[in-house]
Amino acid sequence: MSAVEIKSVVKVFNQGRADEVLALSDVDLTVGVGEFVSLIGPSGCGKSTLLRLIADLIPATTGTVTVAGKPAGQARREQAYGLAFQQAGLFEWRTVRRNVELPLELRGIGRAERRARAEEMLALVGLAEFAGHYPGQLSGGMQQRVAIARALAVQPPLLLMDEPFGALDEMTRERLQSELLSICAKTGTSTVFVTHSISEAVFLSDRVVVMSARPGRITAAIEVGLPSRDEAARQSPAFFDRITEVRRALRGAPLASEATN
Amino acid sequence: MTRTIGRALPPLLFGVLALAGWELFVKLGRVAPFILPAPSAIWTELVEQRGNVWDAALASGRNALIGLIGGALVAILAALAAGRFRALGEISVPFAAVFNALPIIALAPILNNMFESTSSVPRRLVTGIVVFFPVFLNTLRGLREVDPVHQELMRTYAASGWTFAVKVRLPGALPHLFTGLRQASSLAVIAAVVAEYFGGLQDGLGSRITSAAAFTAYPRAWAFVVGACLLGLAFYLVTLLVERLAMPWRERLIA
Repeated sequence: MSAVEIKSVVKVFNQGRADEVLALSDVDLTVGVGEFVSLIGPSGCGKSTLLRLIADLIPATTGTVTVAGKPAGQARREQAYGLAFQQAGLFEWRTVRRNVELPLELRGIGRAERRARAEEMLALVGLAEFAGHYPGQLSGGMQQRVAIARALAVQPPLLLMDEPFGALDEMTRERLQSELLSICAKTGTSTVFVTHSISEAVFLSDRVVVMSARPGRITAAIEVGLPSRDEAARQSPAFFDRITEVRRALRGAPLASEATN
Repeated sequence: MTRTIGRALPPLLFGVLALAGWELFVKLGRVAPFILPAPSAIWTELVEQRGNVWDAALASGRNALIGLIGGALVAILAALAAGRFRALGEISVPFAAVFNALPIIALAPILNNMFESTSSVPRRLVTGIVVFFPVFLNTLRGLREVDPVHQELMRTYAASGWTFAVKVRLPGALPHLFTGLRQASSLAVIAAVVAEYFGGLQDGLGSRITSAAAFTAYPRAWAFVVGACLLGLAFYLVTLLVERLAMPWRERLIA
């Protein structure tokens, strides 16, 4: 069984109206258990739309989305995945700990267990001593780490991330990338990661899925297969080879879509 | 501590200078006391009448408080309902506006006639009606302003409409709710005092002001006006304090 299975999915926005948009055309994608897959492409290529389809935040026009062997809607109701966006989206009136506890609270998990799980997740992202703070007292990078801890709190088999490090500075971003990798390795979580950054996609992923716009579709899938993912890996020839490969695949997208982006 | 003093000093200084200017203007300009009494005369009356001012302020304050709490509760519940059901929200705003345009001056005598002359209900009703609009409108605006990220997150948590309202909409609307309550707190005192000008039970500040003025005891009337002013200020400050306690995540008192 795979973590995510997308079969001939088409997504049309505003169907039947003058402003109808074909956002995704005939997309097939399978994410294996424990696999880290990045979606990359120009803006408007439908990568966020694809992520939202997996999360069952929007319905597919045709085709099927299966998460952990279940239809996407059922998977959502069973909280079979954790989700993190570019904005941390923390609840400013809850302390850091209670933000992480929220998905557990809604699952009806008892207070003591909730608290223990939240502290564990906060320790995982290195924010144990900020449990009692309010989000407004934290920096952007710290807020993003809280959001990741919250996404991990239900210990989901699948993590969906939509440019979670997009608003952060380069140094924070690289540190969080390494942290995310070690968390995913520790917990065996499968991940679908949307990004604009080629180097981020290559560094994090087992496989980089390249998409192109108008209509949004998958044009290439590049196996990364770096031997290791530490700071040295960022300097390795293999790393740069994969970056070149992804960049070529992105350029290979039809000229028309590049001109409009 | 020194910073607090530094910030409090300019308005204090201004207040003292304004009072001194007022005193000088009345004394040197030989202004008749029925036009404008001197602050010293008002102060003397305030000290002499302090028992009466206190009792009247308690009576008016009780009416204002009951009206404020009742009106605010109804407003919050109405806003929750209007925020939950879109159709209801669209109907309710123009109705609330009509409600708000209703002058309490026109309403008070009618309400006074509807109840016994010993009843405090009319004054409390007037206060509640005045309080309703700012609280309702501000709360509704807050309830509608939900961060789209929060909306999507709650959907991924498979949260029900009610859970969403209690855990996200309501706390998110608190800053707006308190903006409305702050306006309403001063309005409540004004409404409770003014409602007494039009009959009903005569134990509050409003009736004291009219009767003192009728007896040409202008400094005494002013002393009760000062009492009303202090009562309004007390309501406002208590609301600020409650706001602070209700939203500990807000660093500043007035954001």
